[in-house]
Amino acid sequence: MRKLYWWLSALGIAAVALGMWIADPPAIRANGEDKHEDDKGGHAHVPAPLEYADNHVPPSVWTDPAMIARGKEIFTVKCAVCHGDTGDGKGPAGAVLPLKPPDFRDKAGAAEMRDNYWYWRVSEGGQAEPFKSRGSAMPPWKDDLSREERWAVMAYQHTFSGHNGPHVPWEHPEMVMVGRDIYVMACVTCHGQDGKGDGTVGPTLSPGRAPQPRNFTSNLFKLRSTPTGQLPTTADLFRTISEGIRADGGPLTFGLRGYRIMPGFHQMPVEQRLELLEYVKSFNKGFWDRHEIKTIAIPTPPPMTPERVARGLQLYKDAECLACHGESGRGDGPSAPTLKDASELPIAATDLTLPNRFKNGMRPQDIYRTLVTGFSGTPMPSYADSLEPDQVWDLAYYVLSLSSDGRRALETAKR
Amino acid sequence: MIRMIGPIVVLLVLGMGTVGPVIADEAPISGTVKAVDPAAQTLTVETTAKGKTRTVTILLKPGSRIVKFVRSTEPGKTGFVEQAIALDDLKPGWIVSVTAKHEGDREVAEIVKVVLER
Repeated sequence: MRKLYWWLSALGIAAVALGMWIADPPAIRANGEDKHEDDKGGHAHVPAPLEYADNHVPPSVWTDPAMIARGKEIFTVKCAVCHGDTGDGKGPAGAVLPLKPPDFRDKAGAAEMRDNYWYWRVSEGGQAEPFKSRGSAMPPWKDDLSREERWAVMAYQHTFSGHNGPHVPWEHPEMVMVGRDIYVMACVTCHGQDGKGDGTVGPTLSPGRAPQPRNFTSNLFKLRSTPTGQLPTTADLFRTISEGIRADGGPLTFGLRGYRIMPGFHQMPVEQRLELLEYVKSFNKGFWDRHEIKTIAIPTPPPMTPERVARGLQLYKDAECLACHGESGRGDGPSAPTLKDASELPIAATDLTLPNRFKNGMRPQDIYRTLVTGFSGTPMPSYADSLEPDQVWDLAYYVLSLSSDGRRALETAKR
Repeated sequence: MIRMIGPIVVLLVLGMGTVGPVIADEAPISGTVKAVDPAAQTLTVETTAKGKTRTVTILLKPGSRIVKFVRSTEPGKTGFVEQAIALDDLKPGWIVSVTAKHEGDREVAEIVKVVLER
C-alpha cells in the first residue's frame, strides 16, 4: 500500500512538472517563440545609429496643426491597424504580434524617445537591430513616406502623449539623461556644466591662449565636414570624441597620449558615445533648426607625386599660407605673433612639420578636410571657394612634404 | 487509504490543469510571406525571433481562416473589422501573424491575420 502511495505521489509530481515545463518550455516552436517576449512594446533604450543621428525634427513640426492633421490621415490608413486608433498599441493587427507596438499614451515612454530615434524607427521599422532580432514586424516606411510625411506621422503620434509643446530635449530632459551622466563623469571638468567650455580644469590646459575647451552653445566648431560657419554633423563630433584632439597643448597635457589637448574616448562603447553626443547637442538648439545638412565630400586621395608637391608649393605661396605658417612651415610666419581667435585669445599657427599634432588628423584626407572647411573661430580660412579639388590635394601633399615622414614619402615617389 | 489518495488526486488535477490551457495557447508566428502555394494549401513565412531568422511552412486545413483588417463600413463605426480572404489573395512581402498548432513536424494554421499588405 505504501509503495502504491509513493508511485502515485511521484506520478502527481511528474504531472505538475510536465505542466510547468509546457508552460515555459525551451524554444521548440517553428519561430522559436513560446510566449511574448516583450509585452511593453517595441521601445528599446538604444540610440539612433550615426547615419540617423542628425535627423532631428524642426521643433515647430510638433505643434503645427497642418502637420498633425496630415499625420493623422497617414496614421489612420497605415499605422492604426497595429498602433490602434488611440495610439495605445492595441490595434487588431498589433495585438497578435510577438513584439507589441508601444503605447504612445505613455507620457514617460514618449518623453524618453528622442526625435532622431523616433524617425529612425519609422524609417527603418523592424529591419534594424535590435528590433529585427526581437521579431519586430514594424515595416520600414522610408520608401513609402517622404521625410515630411514621416515627421507628420510622428507629430500626430506625439499628440497621444498629451504633451502640447515641441518634442525636444529642453522640454524633455529625460531623453538625454544617459548622455548627461556620461558628460558629468567625462567632460564637465573641461567643458563646464552648461557646455560653455568653462569647466574648472579646461582653461588651465592652455592658460590665456587658444585652444580652449569648446563652447557647445556657440556655433563655432573647428572640426567639421560642413561648410564654414555651420555646425558639425554628429559624425564629426563622434570622430572628435573618439580620436580626441591633438595639439601642442599646455603644461597639463603631458599625461594625455600623443600630444592631445583632448583625450580620445575610442574605448567608450559606441552606444555610450552616441548617448553622450545627444546630450552635447542639447546645449545648442541650432542642431534642431537646420533642415538640410550640407557636407563637403572628400574624394579618394590621389597618389603623392613630385609634380603635385611642386604645384602645392606654388599654391602655398599664392594662398599666403606662409604668412602664418612660415616659409618652412614651422608656424613662424610674419603674421603668426599677431594671430587671435574669435575670443581674442592669442592663437599659434600650426607647426606643419609636426603632422602628428594636427588637430584635424594627419592623413591626406584629413588635411584636405581642414583646407576646405577651415577652422571656424580661428584665422585658418576655408579654401573651398578659391581652390579646385585637385589644387587642394596639391596643397595637402605639399603640407605633408614639410615633415620628415612626408619628405621620405616624396623621395619614395620620385624613385 | 482515502486520506492518502486525496493529495495524490489533487496533484494529478493540478498537473493536468496546468497542461491543458497551455497546449491550446500557442504563440503566433509572425513574419513576411515568402511564398503561397494554393495547390498544396501552404504558406511560407520568414520569421525572426531571439536573433534567429527561419523559414516556416504552414499548412492550411479546411478549418483554417485567413483574415485582414478593414475599416468598418457600418454607419457610425470607425473601428476595424475582420474580412475573410482566400489563400491565393495573400502576396509575398505581406506581413502576417499566424496562430498555428504543432502537429507532428508541421505547423497547422488556425488563423492567419494580415498585419500589413505591401
